[in-house]
Amino acid sequence: MSALGAVSVQFTREQLAEVRRLQALYPDKRAALLPVLHLAQEAFGHISLEAEEYAAGLFDLSPAHVHEVVTFYSLFFREPRGRHVISVCHNLTCHLLGAQRVLTHLKKRLGVDVGGTTPDGGVTLLSVECLCACEMAPMMQVNDRYEGNLTPEKVDRILAELR
Amino acid sequence: MVRLTIDGKEVEVPEGTNVIEAARRLGIEVPYYCYHPGLSIAGQCRLCMVELGNNPRPQIACNTQVTEGMVVRTDTSKVLETRQSIMEFHLINHPLDCPVCDQAGECWLQIYYMKHGLYEPRMVDEKVHKPKAVPLGPHVILDAERCILCSRCVRFCDEITGTGELGIFQRGDHSEIGLFPGKELANPYSANVIDICPVGALTDRDFRFAVRVWYLDTARSICPGCSRGCNIEVHYNLRRPHHNQGRRVARLKPRYHAEVNRWWICDAGRYGYKFVDDPSRLVSPSRGRGDAAVEIGWDEIIPVIAGQLRRYRPEEMGVLASPKMANEDLFLLKRLVDHLGLAHVDFSVPPRHPGDEDNLLIRADKNPNTCGAELVGLGPREGVGHGGARGILRAAREGRIKCLWVFHHDLLASAWPEEEIREALRTLECLIFQGSNANRVSAAAHYVLPSATWVEREGTFTNFEGRVQRFWRAVEPLGASLADWEILGRIGAALGLGPQPVRAEECFKALAAAVPAFAGLSYGELRDTGKVVSA
Ligand code: SF4
Ligand code: SF4
Repeated sequence: MSALGAVSVQFTREQLAEVRRLQALYPDKRAALLPVLHLAQEAFGHISLEAEEYAAGLFDLSPAHVHEVVTFYSLFFREPRGRHVISVCHNLTCHLLGAQRVLTHLKKRLGVDVGGTTPDGGVTLLSVECLCACEMAPMMQVNDRYEGNLTPEKVDRILAELR
Repeated sequence: MVRLTIDGKEVEVPEGTNVIEAARRLGIEVPYYCYHPGLSIAGQCRLCMVELGNNPRPQIACNTQVTEGMVVRTDTSKVLETRQSIMEFHLINHPLDCPVCDQAGECWLQIYYMKHGLYEPRMVDEKVHKPKAVPLGPHVILDAERCILCSRCVRFCDEITGTGELGIFQRGDHSEIGLFPGKELANPYSANVIDICPVGALTDRDFRFAVRVWYLDTARSICPGCSRGCNIEVHYNLRRPHHNQGRRVARLKPRYHAEVNRWWICDAGRYGYKFVDDPSRLVSPSRGRGDAAVEIGWDEIIPVIAGQLRRYRPEEMGVLASPKMANEDLFLLKRLVDHLGLAHVDFSVPPRHPGDEDNLLIRADKNPNTCGAELVGLGPREGVGHGGARGILRAAREGRIKCLWVFHHDLLASAWPEEEIREALRTLECLIFQGSNANRVSAAAHYVLPSATWVEREGTFTNFEGRVQRFWRAVEPLGASLADWEILGRIGAALGLGPQPVRAEECFKALAAAVPAFAGLSYGELRDTGKVVSA
């Protein structure tokens, strides 16, 4: 509940129907918590504490148990994020093939640090563990897409397309 | 029943028993942190590994149920090495701040490290730091660095209280126990997580830094906080009297009873003992009201009280016994009342605010011995028509009752109008107060008889189900105070009632002989678990 007493996170009727559908798929409806949290992230942009409490209500769970799940997974955003999310892999193969150079370049171009979002709310920059695409190292994930064999020039082209 | 062999010894246990409990039967200790017989199995700490038959790898004992012919080994080098490795893992990020940890001395990390430690630590890396000394609620304080993530506290809040306040947040070596941001751990049973936390992560805000646990002694007791009669231990400190501001009782802890309270007690009961070492304790008999009160000795006051009891006609006297008194006290009082032929007798005074109750332990009746007082026969007598305690007070107001003997009650905290009670107390010619702590009745009394508290004596309470349970003495009565039965015995002797009991056990014996519900009971018979009376 917000300070005004009004619920500012609330699924639409269609989204609620989807929640019920997902919950019905499992013998224990708690199993549907992950997909419902994804739904919440899509709907609200990020998962605030308020959204956690809202989800807890949908599952008859205590908010603490939803908080456990949200803090466990790095792909749930607890702060507002940009319209685009760029995740640069920093694991071994990418590292050896120049991930740091890619990351430094991105930081410079975007003017933000890892974990930051550009002031216009356009892009959030992350540095992440292995994304399972060593064959295209150094690589990064741009929203739902993988981009590999990165060079500063290629990064520039990708950024230009994003704007 | 299932037969199995553990470390070469055979044992027979009921189906469904796990290997930890089966081993316990044989006196074999399988170490564990996360397992708790009152909670679901988590299999989280991995310390209870044992070898099963020819299985190539050790397996956790908590989540392994016994099967016919099972062969378990808890003493092989593989098991011992496993324990050592698990302990090493548990301590990777542990701050090792035992010298300033309140759990030291009763910490299961210390206990098992002594047996299964590596002793040559191999960790050279910086440890992960986490929040320290975070109050979670009114009673519990968290040190997240000391937590071994056994999840007992989480399961307690999920499964026993159903309140779900706690969770394990983040991931990997950053995992930490905590509350949903902005929430509190304030359920009526919250402090039980302190007892079940095997390490110094959850400690008691009330007890913290008061006394080191190795200076504490223990007495078995019963919580006097409500009619449940939870079994408890009284932990008291006499060896370092300068610690804890001279308070002798340092804390109460639950004591397992399968049918009364299992492993738990409520917070109200846990912290309800403060009156024992409180400055309000009455420590000497006294005569005279308010400022005119003078302390006198027992030898002096007993004949005076006896004289007063003889002076009034039976219908001019009233007795308000207390359901906080033990069966032994109530019985001696009953004998006295019958001897004097008193009819204006009751024990029940309703509190101003009705007590809360739930379906776990807490009972609305905040007295430990209402059932005992009823069985002994100190309730309003049928046919006498004095209208119970309130009727007695009305009679006092109207001058029909001139002498009133009140045990323990603070009548001004009752549900009845204060003015009504003040007037009654003012009007009485002779008001005798017997109790452990000063209150507004003792302040108005002509005679005060100081009682020992329940931790300063032994006795029995009868809980709401009719279970008679013993409590034992932990510390000496404060000042000149005496157990209620002792005071009553001395008065009885002065009134010519003949030889009086010199031990609580004798009072109980006489009670068992006189009151049919208690027939056949004795202290020996009651043992640790008590007996339900044949009501
Ligand atoms: S705080 Fe204590 S009981 Fe709770 S998970 Fe940590 S070690 Fe276990
Ligand atoms: S439930 Fe009653 S008897 Fe048990 S601990 Fe609480 S107050 Fe004491």
